[in-house]
Amino acid sequence: MTQHHILLVDDEPHVLRILRLSLEREGYSVATANDGNEALAKMAVRLPDVLISDIQMDGMDGRTLCPLARATYPDHPFLILVMTSMTAIEERGWARALANTEFLEKPLSPRQLVARLARHFSAPPAKMEHVNVA
Amino acid sequence: MKLNRIGLILIVSALAVIALVVGLLVQRQQAAHVAQTSVTGLGLARALATLPADTLTAGPRANGVLQALFQYHDNPDFAYATVTDAAGRTVSEVVAPGTIVPAQAPQAAAGGFDRRVLPGAAGGRGIVEFYGPMADQGHGAAFVRVGFYQGGPALLGRDVSFFASLALMMFLLVPVIYLVIKREVAPLATLASLVPAMGDLPAARADASDIRDLADTLDAYLRTATARIAELEKNALNTVADNRLLQYGSKKLNAALQSTPDGLLMLDPAGEVSFATSKIEPLLGVGLDELLAQPVENWCNDSALAQLLLRCRNGAGDMVRGRTIEFCPANVPGKHLTATAQPLTAGQGAMSFGTLIVVRDVTREHLARQAGNDFVAHVSHELKSPLNVITMYAETLADTDDPELRVESLNVIQDEVERMNALVGNLLNVSKLETGSMSPERNRVRLDDLLRDAYEHALPRAEGRAVRVQLELQRELAAVAIDKDLFRIALNNLLTNAIKYNRPGGSVTLAAREEHNEIVISVRDTGIGIAPDDQLRVFEKFYRASEQGAQAPRGGHGLGLYLAAQIIELHHGRIELDSVAGQGSTFSIYLKMAPAAQEGTTVL
Repeated sequence: MTQHHILLVDDEPHVLRILRLSLEREGYSVATANDGNEALAKMAVRLPDVLISDIQMDGMDGRTLCPLARATYPDHPFLILVMTSMTAIEERGWARALANTEFLEKPLSPRQLVARLARHFSAPPAKMEHVNVA
Repeated sequence: MKLNRIGLILIVSALAVIALVVGLLVQRQQAAHVAQTSVTGLGLARALATLPADTLTAGPRANGVLQALFQYHDNPDFAYATVTDAAGRTVSEVVAPGTIVPAQAPQAAAGGFDRRVLPGAAGGRGIVEFYGPMADQGHGAAFVRVGFYQGGPALLGRDVSFFASLALMMFLLVPVIYLVIKREVAPLATLASLVPAMGDLPAARADASDIRDLADTLDAYLRTATARIAELEKNALNTVADNRLLQYGSKKLNAALQSTPDGLLMLDPAGEVSFATSKIEPLLGVGLDELLAQPVENWCNDSALAQLLLRCRNGAGDMVRGRTIEFCPANVPGKHLTATAQPLTAGQGAMSFGTLIVVRDVTREHLARQAGNDFVAHVSHELKSPLNVITMYAETLADTDDPELRVESLNVIQDEVERMNALVGNLLNVSKLETGSMSPERNRVRLDDLLRDAYEHALPRAEGRAVRVQLELQRELAAVAIDKDLFRIALNNLLTNAIKYNRPGGSVTLAAREEHNEIVISVRDTGIGIAPDDQLRVFEKFYRASEQGAQAPRGGHGLGLYLAAQIIELHHGRIELDSVAGQGSTFSIYLKMAPAAQEGTTVL
């Protein structure tokens, strides 16, 4: 079985470092990007199975990146996980409009992320089409 | 004024005049007649006396002179002509029918011609008789007598047509005069009818019945009216003065309304705009002409406002009392307005003038509110980010056995806690600064001590990052009047940045020198530098320079430099930045030297 590929996008190096450590330990192949532009470049090299992105970033932010990724690769409805804090409730509107996009609450626990991904990859492929959780 | 009476008087007086004229004429004619009669009679008598007696008597010639005289004499007054003898017997006579010849006058015998007047019998006319002796006394004739009736109706009757036409003409004058008078009097009559309407003039006599009364009344009126006019003129002057005052007041009020920073719209009770101040124009982006001339639907492109205005229709202004709507005018992008409706009433609502709409520009408040929201969002993000990192590293610390990772985790956690701590501290200071509760207590301070303090405070942090810190102090620095605690915050923020945005092995130099009556404190680093675009904005609140590259240190929160700049400004100093990207930055603080005051004095 090929390694699932995860693309991490965040402008906080500490976050990237810890998540990369956690995910690589679980056997995923991980790519990281500091902002949306870098993420799109990495995507062009290798399409991820899951895109995990922060919202607030210098450069291209998550609000721009996620719809752009969906629009650029309409045939690859990979799961998008958006890291957000509860305070940014008004941010959720645009994410709801995107297919197959879910939220990860900040502060983020690496253990919970690992569990969430495990659940995702063990589920039948059809379930990948569902849009989001409430 | 009774015209009828004038007419009556006219008729009567005309008749009187006619009678008088006729009387006079008759009298005159009669007198003339009498005179003529006497001349004629005397002449006739003399003429007869000279005639031979036989021509007068009817004797042989039947047709005597007397007969001829009678027959051909056309004088209707002729009474008789007689010839008598000396004894008074009639020799010959001619007599008008119905006339009795009176007896001969006794004087007749005396000779000479004379006349006598004989009174007429009862109801008869008097007779004037002329007599004299005959020249030819033949046939017994001695005297001749000729009698004439004194004037009578026959005389009048002869001139009746003349008198009648005279009277008619005079009488005809009556209506003409009447009409003329009526015409002339008509204005007076009008005046007279107006008199009672002129009201309660004290001298007025309501019953002006003739022209004299009318004249009196009018005179009284005129005097009263003159007084009244004088009074009215005075009143008019007062009114003009009052008007001016009123006009002045209304202009003042209008100026006050026009200069109100809010735009005002007045709706009449029917809901149409009846007044608008010129401020409305830039607020709504609608011309006043259009606004005042057109119904609301035609010019109002803002549905919320239109809805509010339309609700004021048909005197329903009270329904929207105090209602405020907020909207962005469709014609003026980027503006935020509020419109508040207030019914315009007077006398506890007894009188309604419609509705007043106050349109206020709340763009600034809106932006401030937005800035406030942004600030909260920003600060919560700034607090969440280190918390997020701390949570992840804490979990990693618990999970991993790798000693290197554990050390790294601890360091990161410590850094992030420091970062949050600095943020919270700076936030509190910024808040104090902005609410004005931070008032610097400026004392004369020895700069050397303060700088040395800051230097020592920065040392441990610099060592952790392998950055060298140097202190360069000019000997004998002049004292400055500053708030020590505030200034320390500013210095620490500058030093923290200089160390954080440095490279391992780099250096930070804290220096102070005197220069043109100013103290210059500089913090120079050999760090990553600041790009020219960023240099202009680094002192802005929450501004963070773009941090290139993954190796660039993180953790700025955009408050440190802002706070430092604010504190320096509070001390009436200035801060300057000189930086080359990739080579380092120098922040220089310029402070005025304290005036030469006694050591230890508090300078405010």
